[in-house]
Amino acid sequence: MPFSFRISVVIFVFILSGLGLFWLCVGIVGKKVRIRPFLIYAVCSSLVNVMVVLLSTWLIDEDVLFGPYFSLLFAVAGYTVGAAALGIVIRKCYGVPFLQGLTAAMLSHFVINTADDVVATAAATYSPLFGGMYLYTFITIILPKLWGFFIAFLAAYILRKSGFYRYFAALFSSRFKTVVMVAVGWIFMLFWSFIDFFYPGAEPNMLYALFFFSLITVVLLWIQFMAMYTAGQEKIHVQEETIAQQQSHMELLEELQQEIRAFRHDVTNLFSGLTLQAQEGDLDGIQEFMKKTSSYFDEKLGNEIKQMDCLNNIKPYPIRSLLTTKLAAMRQKHIQSALEVLNPVQEKQVMETADFLRGLGILIDNAIEAVPFKDGQIRLVLLQEERELYVAVVNNYETEPDLNAIAERGYTTKGSGRGTGLSSYRKIISRYPGCVTRTYLRDGFFVQELRMPMQSV
Amino acid sequence: MIPVYICDDEQVISTHLKKIISDQIMILGADMGPVRVADNPAGLLDMQRQDTVPAVYFLDIDFPGQMSGLALAQELRRYDPRGFIVFITAHGDLAFETFRLRLEALDYIVKGDYNAMSVRVRECFESIQERLHDEPSGQGNYCTLKLFDTVRHIPVQDILYFEALGYKHTLRLHLVNELLEFNNSLDHFEKQLGENFWRCHRGFLVNRAHVRTVHLKEQIVELDTGEECPLSRKAKTEYRAGLS
Repeated sequence: MPFSFRISVVIFVFILSGLGLFWLCVGIVGKKVRIRPFLIYAVCSSLVNVMVVLLSTWLIDEDVLFGPYFSLLFAVAGYTVGAAALGIVIRKCYGVPFLQGLTAAMLSHFVINTADDVVATAAATYSPLFGGMYLYTFITIILPKLWGFFIAFLAAYILRKSGFYRYFAALFSSRFKTVVMVAVGWIFMLFWSFIDFFYPGAEPNMLYALFFFSLITVVLLWIQFMAMYTAGQEKIHVQEETIAQQQSHMELLEELQQEIRAFRHDVTNLFSGLTLQAQEGDLDGIQEFMKKTSSYFDEKLGNEIKQMDCLNNIKPYPIRSLLTTKLAAMRQKHIQSALEVLNPVQEKQVMETADFLRGLGILIDNAIEAVPFKDGQIRLVLLQEERELYVAVVNNYETEPDLNAIAERGYTTKGSGRGTGLSSYRKIISRYPGCVTRTYLRDGFFVQELRMPMQSV
Repeated sequence: MIPVYICDDEQVISTHLKKIISDQIMILGADMGPVRVADNPAGLLDMQRQDTVPAVYFLDIDFPGQMSGLALAQELRRYDPRGFIVFITAHGDLAFETFRLRLEALDYIVKGDYNAMSVRVRECFESIQERLHDEPSGQGNYCTLKLFDTVRHIPVQDILYFEALGYKHTLRLHLVNELLEFNNSLDHFEKQLGENFWRCHRGFLVNRAHVRTVHLKEQIVELDTGEECPLSRKAKTEYRAGLS
């Protein structure tokens, strides 16, 4: 075979398997396939592959090289490094957490290797012997790779259509689950290498194939089931929270109703007094009365009604209920709070609502923690503009926050172990390019601003 | 002289306010004037372009059927980023926090009682004078920063250093009493700010004016605020070469 043919086959195999892996992996985490990340990954993985091959041929002589231990070792090292590379690319280019990307990469390896292996074995066993090397190469190398890519493409399409990435993310909600998922993914990735190692001479026959296919199907179904189950649990949790938030909204309404009743009572009394004065022709008295009572309504009810108006301006329900809950918490702690929402807030900012809620919740919780015990003041501002949503949380403080320390990870004024808030806030924001955060001190107030671009339609 | 503008569609209020303002300027002996009145936003924007900035603006909150006070103020800010904006409102319940944060509005005045308005106007002018006094006059250098459709002018002496955060070209700008994170590249600012800033590390751009000590052995650059930036080997060699 001419050298150029070999080289082109090798390049073809690298690119096709790389593309398949990348496609499926991106499909699992539910992102769009883009050219640049793929090229980065293709270059990295090709380099890794070439390095591994060169190292192995130069360093170790052939007998050891093709021994079972070393081939297992190389498979483990090669696949793990390759999956890690893909995980890093996914983290850097798409902002998906590294471990999720890694697991997705490992599962993709498994799927593609399985498809590849099955067809390659079948081709080697069942195809008639060909005289021509080119055709042989095509059947045993190129065809399986094409098949692998086709399967990856199909699987990615189905996963994307079914919105699998939401379930997938739910599988990483706790540390334990994450560890289990990564371990399972790793074992799956190396499944065929292990099989080769433990049963070196296994002849492929129908029974053997059937057994492994059913095993794979069961495990994949199990993963899918686990994912849906966890996501269901999460949904229940969210619903419970929503109910709690609605309750606090109800409480606010009831409070308002009480105050209106008291106000009505007051007004009736005041007016009966006024009627008397009017009958007696006491003009000065009436003027005095007008002066005193003109701001009465605003003082009594203005604040609550203003707050309600502002809340009603927030159309996305989850955000509204979060703010309602937080405002109720502030009232309970006797923190003087104000909310300003001038324009109706739209839903179309770039950040996903769940992330926005977490971020905003962290900012508000920090403000609640930081205000002095007496005379705490918190002001919340949401301003919808044409191209951005502007959010600010303003609070006064007991001890002046040290901005330099805030820049470091895990800062908090309330002792150790409680500083995870700000760093996870940063983490959330870092996933969305185009956001601007600003943190500053002014006139005795600590201000945290977040500006988010709107989705371009 | 710092020009003063009033914009309100009710003539009673604006003549009233003009009198109060002129009186207060005289009483304080402030270097301000002339006081001009516009009865609609477009007129005010026209006037603004014909005189110097910074200026003082007294703005009504809403003009029925025309642009809102917020939009007007944003438009004014585009031309006069350092001007002083005071809002006039019929009732006390305006969303002032929004105006204060978003537009750096100075204060607001409630229409009505003559004496109360005089007091409030006087307070505004006092605080304006104080701010003008604190600001280093005229020749200050500014670093321009475009975020969305607003441009911010940051006095260079307030900048401590820029820090590149590992992901997606995010920069963290450390100012005196402020942190700002946004998407941009260090190279851009290195070019814009020139010699006064020092790239002491691949990911750090430091304002030379704020450097207190360079610890060559520990490879640390200490700032006058006590903050520390790393010093790369390359920058260290260059620094050494520059000394000898």
